[in-house]
Amino acid sequence: MNAIEIKNLTKSFGPKQALAGLNMTVPEGAIYGFIGENGSGKSTTEKIICGLINPSGGSVKLYGRDHTDIDVRACMGVLIEAPGCFPNYTVWNNMLLQAANLGIKDAEREAVKALKTVRMEGAASNKYKNCSLGMKQRVGIAMALIGNPKLLVLDEPINGLDADGMRIMREVLVDITKNYGTTVVVSSHVLSELEKVATHYGIIRGGKMICEMTAKELDDSCRTYIALKSNDMAITKSYLNKKYARVESDEAGYLRVYDNIECEDVVTYLYENGIIINEIKTDKIGLEEFYIDLMKEGTR
Amino acid sequence: MEKTFEKNTFGKRLKTMLHVDFRRMFTMPLIYIVLGICLVSPILIFVMTTMMDGSVTTDPQTGEETITESKFDHAWQIIGSISNPKEEPSDEGEKESTEGENPMGGGMDITSMVNINMLYFAVAIIVCLFVGADFRSGYSKNLFTVRASKVDYVISKTLVGVVGGALMIVCFFIGSVIGATIMSIPFDLSVVGSSTISVGSIVFCLLAKVLLVGVFVPIYVLASVIAKQRVWLSILISCGISMLLFMMIPMITPLDGTFINPVLCLGASILASLGIGAISNTVLNKTALV
Repeated sequence: MNAIEIKNLTKSFGPKQALAGLNMTVPEGAIYGFIGENGSGKSTTEKIICGLINPSGGSVKLYGRDHTDIDVRACMGVLIEAPGCFPNYTVWNNMLLQAANLGIKDAEREAVKALKTVRMEGAASNKYKNCSLGMKQRVGIAMALIGNPKLLVLDEPINGLDADGMRIMREVLVDITKNYGTTVVVSSHVLSELEKVATHYGIIRGGKMICEMTAKELDDSCRTYIALKSNDMAITKSYLNKKYARVESDEAGYLRVYDNIECEDVVTYLYENGIIINEIKTDKIGLEEFYIDLMKEGTR
Repeated sequence: MEKTFEKNTFGKRLKTMLHVDFRRMFTMPLIYIVLGICLVSPILIFVMTTMMDGSVTTDPQTGEETITESKFDHAWQIIGSISNPKEEPSDEGEKESTEGENPMGGGMDITSMVNINMLYFAVAIIVCLFVGADFRSGYSKNLFTVRASKVDYVISKTLVGVVGGALMIVCFFIGSVIGATIMSIPFDLSVVGSSTISVGSIVFCLLAKVLLVGVFVPIYVLASVIAKQRVWLSILISCGISMLLFMMIPMITPLDGTFINPVLCLGASILASLGIGAISNTVLNKTALV
């Protein structure tokens, strides 16, 4: 069963159309990486799923029921933009308030458990307003986790998190999907982090879903490339450009040849032109490059 | 196969919402500050008005002297006014109770302006700050994500507002008794001069005022859900509407009231809560909550 099924979703804010017939399918138990540029409609979609704004058209179904269904919505956890905490309350009081909101009987035990999960149990007595950005984000995640929600919607949850926070976040997401069958929709611009946990991806552009795929499909469709280093990178690049369609320099100082060719072909070609290769390897493009490629294709 | 979800009944939702709201209301320092002000302000009013009474001010241009008459004739004057002016004796010569002159309590005498009815404005501020905090803090995201129905939210906010308002009235009453005792302002009902006033009528008057909060709070909740995070706007709307309804308060809750007055106020509260609550619910359903 699909946890979320969105069909032809539209949303306009005055003359501006934020969503233009979005379709989205999130299978149950998936970690769905929701990717898109700023202003592409990610947050709007998430807010509609959570019932915080009304769509202009289309349908949103959660576990086969309309998204306005009281019983389904009671099983959701959310972290959209900033955590919804009262600044003058302590972290602990905010947690207890959320537990009360969800009608959890053993509120204190649940609050402790959630805070331990995000390693914030030591900061429970801190006033929320005195917490750092990363701590606030962790509290927001802990609040979203209270009561083991069936569906978790996280908008930019790793904003402001340090390396440890990001690792915890990854562990938590994997743990709740495996142990509790929770479905997670997570949007983030940090694609390298998303790539480590997501089982499904949805790429949105201009309010429309341009690509939906599983992690396996992404892996299959990610092209391999040849990366090399030589004595004279400038000359090497000029030679490679003459023969191959797409040659780019990367951040690590390698020249990348994206054409569908074998390593031996490149080595032979450069050797014939008097260029000595110091290092050569093949690799696959990641989510980030796949996404950038997709965006470039869209603008062409 | 359709996934099963725990039935989230209206009773359960309302219970959890009330739990959240009462917890919030009584962990909010502001409520204790306001209750303290409610307790102290009648004492200060009695002290100030007694001190000012009989003081002579001279107009610097005309040289005309004015004697300020601002003393409360009896302690209950700060709680309510008498609805039937004809029974008011005029044994004080020219000076009759201003509230006696105007059954709506709309006279310009300080005793008719500075009384318990001011609390309805304080309740407006408390309710607007309380509801507005949900939207300002972003907590509304947590609330409304798990609450597809907004009815329990509106009912809970109204109930908590009424309880808060009732406590303010009680504190003001206690403060009035303390203030009158300190300033030796008579409690004696014979001083009031109306045969219809008794301990029972004072109780009915107070009860009616408490129940009348139920007419005002739904208006404040509506203003708050319209204005959302713009608390200043909700306070402005609430106080504006309160001002329009202000003159009605002494009329519906007179000091010489009978059991009819609280019953009327209860009826009005129920009607207002249902009617205005339904509008608040519609506003929440039709507008963006973040």
